[in-house]
Amino acid sequence: MYVLPAIAFVLVFVYFPIVMNFYNSLFRMNSYSDARTFVGFKHYVRMFNDPIFYTAIKNNFLYAAFSILFQVGLGMVLAIFLEGRFIGKRMGTFFRNTLFIPSIISIPAVALLWYFIYNPQIGLLNGILGVVGLDSLKTAWLANPKTAIYSVIMMSQWQYTGYIMVLLVVAIQKIPRELYESAVIDGANEFQKAVYITIPSIKSMLAVTTIITFIGSFKLFSEIYIMTDGGPYNTTQVLGVYMYRAAFKFDEMGYGSAVAVIIFTITFLVSILQLKSFKST
Amino acid sequence: MNKKVITILLITVFLASGLLLAATVNLKFLHRWTQEPDRSFFEEVVKEYEALNPNVKIDIQTVSNDAFKEKIKVMLGTAEAPDVFFTWPGEFTNRFIRAGNVLDITPYMLEDGSMFHYYGSQLIPFVYEGALYGLPYRLDGKVFVYNKEIFAQAGIDSAPQTLDEFMEDLEKLAALGMKPIAFGNERPWAVSHYIAALNQKSVPEEIWEIDTDPAIGTWTDPGYVKALEIYEDLVPYFNNFTNALKHDQARVAFMQGQHAMMYLEIVEIPEIERDGPAGFIDKIGVFPFPATDGPGNQSYLVGYPEGFVVSSKTKHPEEAVDFLKFLTGKEMGRLELEMLGWFNGIKNLVSPDEVKPIVFETTQLILDSEKMVNWLDSSLHAKIWSVYSVELQKLTDLVTTPQKAMDAVIKIATEVRSEF
Repeated sequence: MYVLPAIAFVLVFVYFPIVMNFYNSLFRMNSYSDARTFVGFKHYVRMFNDPIFYTAIKNNFLYAAFSILFQVGLGMVLAIFLEGRFIGKRMGTFFRNTLFIPSIISIPAVALLWYFIYNPQIGLLNGILGVVGLDSLKTAWLANPKTAIYSVIMMSQWQYTGYIMVLLVVAIQKIPRELYESAVIDGANEFQKAVYITIPSIKSMLAVTTIITFIGSFKLFSEIYIMTDGGPYNTTQVLGVYMYRAAFKFDEMGYGSAVAVIIFTITFLVSILQLKSFKST
Repeated sequence: MNKKVITILLITVFLASGLLLAATVNLKFLHRWTQEPDRSFFEEVVKEYEALNPNVKIDIQTVSNDAFKEKIKVMLGTAEAPDVFFTWPGEFTNRFIRAGNVLDITPYMLEDGSMFHYYGSQLIPFVYEGALYGLPYRLDGKVFVYNKEIFAQAGIDSAPQTLDEFMEDLEKLAALGMKPIAFGNERPWAVSHYIAALNQKSVPEEIWEIDTDPAIGTWTDPGYVKALEIYEDLVPYFNNFTNALKHDQARVAFMQGQHAMMYLEIVEIPEIERDGPAGFIDKIGVFPFPATDGPGNQSYLVGYPEGFVVSSKTKHPEEAVDFLKFLTGKEMGRLELEMLGWFNGIKNLVSPDEVKPIVFETTQLILDSEKMVNWLDSSLHAKIWSVYSVELQKLTDLVTTPQKAMDAVIKIATEVRSEF
C-alpha cells in the first residue's frame, strides 16, 4: 500500500505518456486543430523511406561514439590522472573544478559561444589557423557539410567531458587505498595500477556514464537546433530536431510522435543491452 | 461600528469587486518584437488604449521571431490562445483560417466603414476566400539598397533598371576588388526574397499563384528553373560564406562599406539610420529588383505587409477587434512612424515633408506598385518550403543545379497534394 503513490506517479508521468505517444503516432494531426485522421502505420512507412531519417540516426550514433570516446574515455583518463600522484592535491582540485565548469553553463550560452568561435569571418578558430599559417584549413565550420556535425560534436565534448570526469573521480575516491598500497609493494607502476585496480573498481560507474552518454546522444536537440538547425542541407539532422521539425514546423504532430517512438525504442533497447553487457563482465 | 454595519460593508465591497471583475475585459496580445524600440512602442499603444478604455486590461506577450513561428501553433491549440496576435499573411495565416482559429473581421470593418481607411492593396493579403481576417501593421517591400559612393567609384551613375544592366554593374563593382552584394543566408528566409522576385518575373502570374496553393500546385513551369539560373548567375557576386552568415552580420558589413549593395526590406532603412555609421543613411539609394525578359509583370514588388489578427476563440470579439483597429489606425500609425520609422496601412498617414525623403520614396514604391508579391517562405506549405529552402542553400553553395533543385520541389509538392 505504501508504494501505491509511487506506482501511480510512475504510471501517470512515465508509462501513460509513452502509450499515448504511440497512440498519437497512428494519426495525422497538428497542434492548432482538433481534427485528426487515422493513418495507421503510414508515418512509420514514410519514415523508413526518408533518407533524412537515416542521416539523423547516423548522426546520433556518430555523436554517441564520439561522446563515449571523449567523455567517458578521456574523462576516465583525466580522472585517473587527477587522482594519481602526478600533480599535487591543490593543482588536482583546481583542474578538476576548471574542467567541470563548462558543464554548468547553459546549452544556449555554450552554443552561442562556439557559434562565434566557428564564425568564418570573425571567429577565433579561423583566426588561429590564419596566425599559424594554416589558411588552407579555414572554412565555414557550421555551414560546410563536411565539418558541421563534427564541429557541433566537439563543442559537446568540451562541455561535458569534465562532468563525466567528476563522476569518475568520485568513484575512484571510493577505492580502498590498501589496494594501491599492496600494488606498490608488489612493484606495480602507475599504468598497471590504473589498468588492474582503478578501472575494474569503477566498472559500474563506467557502465552508468556510458549509458548516460549514449542516451544523452539520442536526446540531442538544443546544440543542433541553435547552431545549425539541422543544416547545411540536413547534414547535421538528428532525431530530436527531426522530430521537432515534423511536429512544430510541418504541423505533423502524429509523424513527430512516430519519431519519438523510434527514439524511445532505440534508447530503451541499447540501455538494456549495455546493462546486461556490463553485468556479465 | 456594530457588526451589522461591518457585515453590510463587507458584502457591498465583495459585490462591487465581483461586478468590477465581471465588467473588466481581459485581452491577451501577442507580438514578436522582443527588443527596443519596438517593445516600448507596443507598451505605449496598450497604455493609450487602456487609458481610453478603462474596462479593458491587455496582457502583452512577446516571443522572438523564429520561436514565434512555432509557439503560435501550440498556443492556438489551447485555451490560452491570444486574443490578438501577430501574423504573416499568406499560407502562414491561411492554414490557421482553415482550422477555424482566426476571426472573420469583415462585418466589424464594414459596420463603421473603417475598412476604407486602409489602402486596399495592403488589405488584400489578409483576405481569404472573400473574407477579411487581419489588418496591416507595417508595410514592407524588398529593394536593393546601394552605396552611391561605391557606385560612383565604379563609374556607375544610375541604378540599373534591367537584369543586363545589373549584371554589367556587378562586373564593374567586382573590378574594384570587392564582392558587390552583401548577403547572409544562414536562415534561408533571406534567399526566399530573391526567389520570390525571380519566380514572379520568370513564371506567368496565373501559374505561380496556383502553385502557391498546396492542394493543386505542381511547380512544373520551366520558368522556375530559369529563375534559379538567374540566381545562380548572381552567386559569384555574393560575399563569401553566404550560408554561414546571419542577415544582420551581412548588413553590418554593408554599412561598413565592404559591399556595394544589399537586398533589404524597406523596414530596415530606419534601422540603418539608427544603427549605421553617422551619415550613412544619406549615402544610400534604392532600386527594385531589375526587370528581366520573363513573362511575369516586371513592375511588381516583392513584399507583403505584416499584421495582426483576432483569434476566433476570443471571449471578447468586439473589444479585440476594436483594439486591432486602434493598433493599426491613424493615431498609432503616426506614433509608429515617429518611434519606429515604419508606415502602417492607413491612407494618407503623413505628408512627404514629415519624413526623411528616402523613407517616403521607398514607401511610395510599395503604394505605387501595381501588385505586391508575398515572401516565398510565407506563401508556401511548410513541407514544400523545407525542401525548397534546402535546395536554395545548396544552389547558393553551387553544389546543385537549378533543374535538380526544382525536381526536388516538384517531388515534395506531389506528396503534399496527396494530403489534401
